[in-house]
Amino acid sequence: MEVDRNYRCKVVKPDDFDEFWDGVLSDVNAIDLDPSMEKDDLRSNDEVDVYQVYYNSLDHVRISAWYSVPKGATGKLPAMIQLPGYQSDPPIAREWAAKGYACISVNPRGKVRSRTQFDPGYPGLLTYGIVDKNSYSYRGFYVDAWRAVDFLLSRPEVDGANIGAVGGSQGGGLAITISAMRKEVKAVSISAPYLCGYMDAIELTHAYPFHEINDYLHTHPERREDVENTVAYFDGISFADKIECAVILNVGLQDNVVPPETGYAVFDAIASNNKKFYEYDGHGHDAGRYMHDAIIDKFFEAELKGGN
Amino acid sequence: MYGNKPADFENFWDDVDNDLAGISIAPEVEYIRMRSNNDADLYGVRITSVGPYRLFAYLSIPKGEGPFPAIYYVPKNGSVHEVIPQGTATGIRSRYVTFSVAGRGMRNSDKPYTAMYPGQLTDGLESADTYVYRGIIADALRGLEYLITRPEVDSTRIVAWGNDIAVLAAARRNEITHVVSTPAYLFDPVEHALKTSSYPLAEYSDYLRLYPDRKHDVESILSMYNTRWHAPEVKAETLLRADHSSGIYNPDVLSDLENGIAGNVTVHESERSSFKDGLFAEKWITEKFFGADATAIVPEHWRSAL
Repeated sequence: MEVDRNYRCKVVKPDDFDEFWDGVLSDVNAIDLDPSMEKDDLRSNDEVDVYQVYYNSLDHVRISAWYSVPKGATGKLPAMIQLPGYQSDPPIAREWAAKGYACISVNPRGKVRSRTQFDPGYPGLLTYGIVDKNSYSYRGFYVDAWRAVDFLLSRPEVDGANIGAVGGSQGGGLAITISAMRKEVKAVSISAPYLCGYMDAIELTHAYPFHEINDYLHTHPERREDVENTVAYFDGISFADKIECAVILNVGLQDNVVPPETGYAVFDAIASNNKKFYEYDGHGHDAGRYMHDAIIDKFFEAELKGGN
Repeated sequence: MYGNKPADFENFWDDVDNDLAGISIAPEVEYIRMRSNNDADLYGVRITSVGPYRLFAYLSIPKGEGPFPAIYYVPKNGSVHEVIPQGTATGIRSRYVTFSVAGRGMRNSDKPYTAMYPGQLTDGLESADTYVYRGIIADALRGLEYLITRPEVDSTRIVAWGNDIAVLAAARRNEITHVVSTPAYLFDPVEHALKTSSYPLAEYSDYLRLYPDRKHDVESILSMYNTRWHAPEVKAETLLRADHSSGIYNPDVLSDLENGIAGNVTVHESERSSFKDGLFAEKWITEKFFGADATAIVPEHWRSAL
């Protein structure tokens, strides 16, 4: 199918969007972060020290993360937040630490090591509690990711003025929300962003994970309006007008997981004037990663390290 | 280097088969309404593997008259257990029986053993008998044994689809007629793990960094699982999905595996595009099962390339 680069998604940002998320943030801000950190000798190597991290999030769910720092670094480090895909297990981002960043790779609720208190499974996460914005799985899941900023700010080795966020697929969707909601994020790289234009995506593609919503609506057709109302609060497009930091965004034109049309739509909605779009013809959900990785490196080098 | 085939290789794997033969599959099958549709019905299946260990699997059966060719998604190195892989056109469920087994430690088969990723690849690496992959390979074989009991399955067209485990399963079970494998961590594993910091292979190098005195033991244990030694027993027609030439498991590295497999082998070097690599695999299996004139069922954004 020909990709419509001017595609516009159906989602309408709710009038009380800010009020809803202010309430969620008020709830989580009342919960002590209480971070813990333990060196993982098995995962550390000659270049990088790796730590297993835990902190509290919404509903007092304990969230795990991997924290990687360059071995023997002195002075303040620029920092990176690595955000995970939907079905992949969150990586230990040693490669970012090897490039000189303090990097936290978050395991939001339901992911490996963060499953004890909340575990809707896969398939399952995308539609868990979807009938109400207050019960929807991503209410807590998003906040778990955003709290990574608080963890980084608690670390003496981190330069809080130079924090970046990076992710692909669900990680790209999370990168949109974290850069919208946490102004400490100075630069963001978004690849093949999931969780944008939900109700369009389920018509543009019939592959999991978006197809979970089709499964749900096939079983509960009477809930369609509830579903549409809920996801409007979680759609990346609804967050996009809050993004003011430097942005790069890339899509693959043959993406079989996240329709590229929604990537164009969310990019158009991003408020930042410092934004750049990359499209890769002949690429699917990889979104041209083998070519784009170097662009991401240079982008953060310039934005967080003052490089050229 | 990769060393020699272990002297007790056949006995080791015969013991696995004997352990399986001593345990009833004991299937329990439950209809899953939410994941059933106009194309196919989905069932949750529980079966027993060695241990005894209870496993979970998703079984999708097309509507209409069978039998149908089957895609057997073998256990993988990752926590998430899918009905069909992410990004696959859901329409394939109208054409194939699909069967996806969660090996022990994966979601849905994680009681009592919950694997970590990374972590799973070195669990129990104290000996060949305690290594978790002994159980995981048994899980893959047990899944196949259940699948072929299903009357909806065309026994002349069963493809094992996955990473290295697809090759091992085909080596141990001739009922697998085709293989689509992306080698990732069991072909000369120690040799290649020492060249990378990327997971999953790096799990082995992490382990050997912390326990360098165990290198000989680890090599010996993993030689039981090295697809190099299993390849001659693979009679199935095989697609090896190799890394790009810049990657670890590139076509040159895999040439011994390619030449070792007894069945016909096609090697596809990654074009570093999930679209191009995925389309090649879908067209390959479609041609093998339905002939050169058949059209692959692919996602919307790939169709213009058919």
